[in-house]
Amino acid sequence: MTAEPRPRVLVVDDEQQILRALRVILRDAGFEALPAGSAEEALDIAATRRPDAAIVDLVLPDFDGVELSRRLREWSDMPLIVLSAVGDEDAKVRALAAGADDYVTKPFGPRELVARLQANLRRIAPEPEEAVIRVEGLEVDLARRTVSVDGQEVHLTPTEFDLLRLLIRNRGRLMTHRDLLLSVWGPGYGEDTQVLRAHIANLRRKIEPAGGRRYIRTDPGVGYRFAL
Amino acid sequence: MIGIAVSLVLVAIATAAIYPLKHLAPVVSLSVVYLPAVLLVSAYWGLPLGLATSLLSAAAFNFFHLPPTGRFTIADSRNWVALGAFTVVAATVSTVAELARSRALEADRRRAEADLAAAVARDLLGGSETESALAAAARRVAVALGIGPVAIELGTVEGDRRRRALELTGADGSQVATLLVPRRIPADTEQRLEVHVVPALGALVAIALRRDALQSEAVETAALRRSDDVKTALLRAVSHDLRTPVTAIVAAGHALGSDSLTGGERAELSTAVVEEGERLAALVDKLLDLSRLQAGRAEPRRDWVSLEDVLHAASEGLSEPEANVRLTVEPDVPPVRADAAHLERAFANLLENAVRYSGGLPVSVQVRRSGPRVVARVVDQGPGIGAVERARIFEPFYRGPATGREAGTGSGLGLAIARGFVEANGGTITVESLPGQGSSFVVTLPLEQPGQPQPEPEHEPALPT
Repeated sequence: MTAEPRPRVLVVDDEQQILRALRVILRDAGFEALPAGSAEEALDIAATRRPDAAIVDLVLPDFDGVELSRRLREWSDMPLIVLSAVGDEDAKVRALAAGADDYVTKPFGPRELVARLQANLRRIAPEPEEAVIRVEGLEVDLARRTVSVDGQEVHLTPTEFDLLRLLIRNRGRLMTHRDLLLSVWGPGYGEDTQVLRAHIANLRRKIEPAGGRRYIRTDPGVGYRFAL
Repeated sequence: MIGIAVSLVLVAIATAAIYPLKHLAPVVSLSVVYLPAVLLVSAYWGLPLGLATSLLSAAAFNFFHLPPTGRFTIADSRNWVALGAFTVVAATVSTVAELARSRALEADRRRAEADLAAAVARDLLGGSETESALAAAARRVAVALGIGPVAIELGTVEGDRRRRALELTGADGSQVATLLVPRRIPADTEQRLEVHVVPALGALVAIALRRDALQSEAVETAALRRSDDVKTALLRAVSHDLRTPVTAIVAAGHALGSDSLTGGERAELSTAVVEEGERLAALVDKLLDLSRLQAGRAEPRRDWVSLEDVLHAASEGLSEPEANVRLTVEPDVPPVRADAAHLERAFANLLENAVRYSGGLPVSVQVRRSGPRVVARVVDQGPGIGAVERARIFEPFYRGPATGREAGTGSGLGLAIARGFVEANGGTITVESLPGQGSSFVVTLPLEQPGQPQPEPEHEPALPT
């Protein structure tokens, strides 16, 4: 037990059994769970207890998780992870557009849920910026804008480098097509996923050894994330 | 015979008619008076009689009118020329008339064949099933050709002692049916049959069969589309309704591995595993019931069944044991002939539905006899069901609109399963409801008198397949 207060996580699900299990799982991962059985209850708790993050089920008895995400986003910047049993892309995309940061599909592995939660919390409290980021054989020097794989320098175009920097600084977090296009290309390119796909493909060819490690993960129809 | 008599009479009339004309024109030119007789006889009775009439006319003209009259001799040699010319003209007229006659006959026959083809086409393509239309078409062929009994059989059929088999083939040359005609038919009818009737009939039967095939394909496609809709709904239900309890079980299982559990938490989590596991098992049972009904595999094993026993069993099996179900069975209700397990599943689903929507208020079940039927009413005190919903409530995966905490907890399968089992046992199920006043689900089952078993009614579960 550290003296530091545990980060509080609002957990919204209409299944009592899932709330009970998540309370234990989150406690073991160093969080404090604030359970809510409905969207209204969740809004109350969010206003009074000021959670550091939220995990929201898409199917709720009063109004759905997409709407709840939108309302929470109106006044809070906390990381928001959607829990969806539907498995349908459309609902995920709507939740992400409404302000959710990531999603986890039911049934979920607790380790994955916790990892996603931690990755998204890093966005709020960034670790001191390192000049050189190393992930396995990949080394990215942000100051000198150089990249090497297994000690071999690789040449990236400026756009490819910007994409890689964005993904690697948000390791583990889902970056939607829109996030990436707006940050790298700027406003006006928000819908051009074809261009994004082409650059990601080039980037992968350069930094991922053939048949070997995969650094960039695809969330089909939604976006990309840099593997943790 | 009539032809010969007509010929004789006409020649006699012409011969007599010449006498008064002799004063007006030279006798030798009056041979034309015979030509109408020749023309008439040729046109109606054909060339041989026409030629005979020509010769008879020439002889009569010579005998009665060319000098010397009363004898077959001719004094003036110019009159021989005139008589010869007449004979040639008369013979020519006969030939031309015969040609016209045979053409008219041919045209009549063609028209009759065309009429026959049109009538057969109406029979075969006019909408009814091809197999039943074949008998009507066969009758038409028999009448049109004036031959004895004719039959058209699909596929290849052998002839027998009295009937001969003719192949009917489609445009591609493959045999589609067999035309059975009497062994003895006149040669020219035979000719017409083989040259004109058989090919047309073959083409029509082939088209009719193709149409049947297309129609049944269209019916199948529609059924497939419906079953696709059901499958899509099933996938969605499986995705959500199965994943939710699985998620709770997996999460509870992980949490149970924690070192920091209090005794209370451990108890809660293991209860969660058991409860969610049971929920999952119940849902799987329902999905199996439904797929059995949809596959038409729910053959009832009929026996004498007491509805009172069935209803007790169904209410005892409810997942909420404290549920308040009041059962009234009137004493004169006889046992019904049905599958006890099916009826129990049907009533268990109806009761579960009623308890869910009754909001804690008692659910009542009344069973009474009504003529040749037994009627069971399951009455709840829930919010009631609007007319639009009533039409859809028995569809698989249909769920009532959200009302309070009980909303959305059902599988959406119970009423579809109840209807499937009731109908598989020859009964019906309907719903009566006024919004705000609760709903009654009315199950009606037919009664059989013990000792007089009736034939089992044909049935099909009225679920999309």
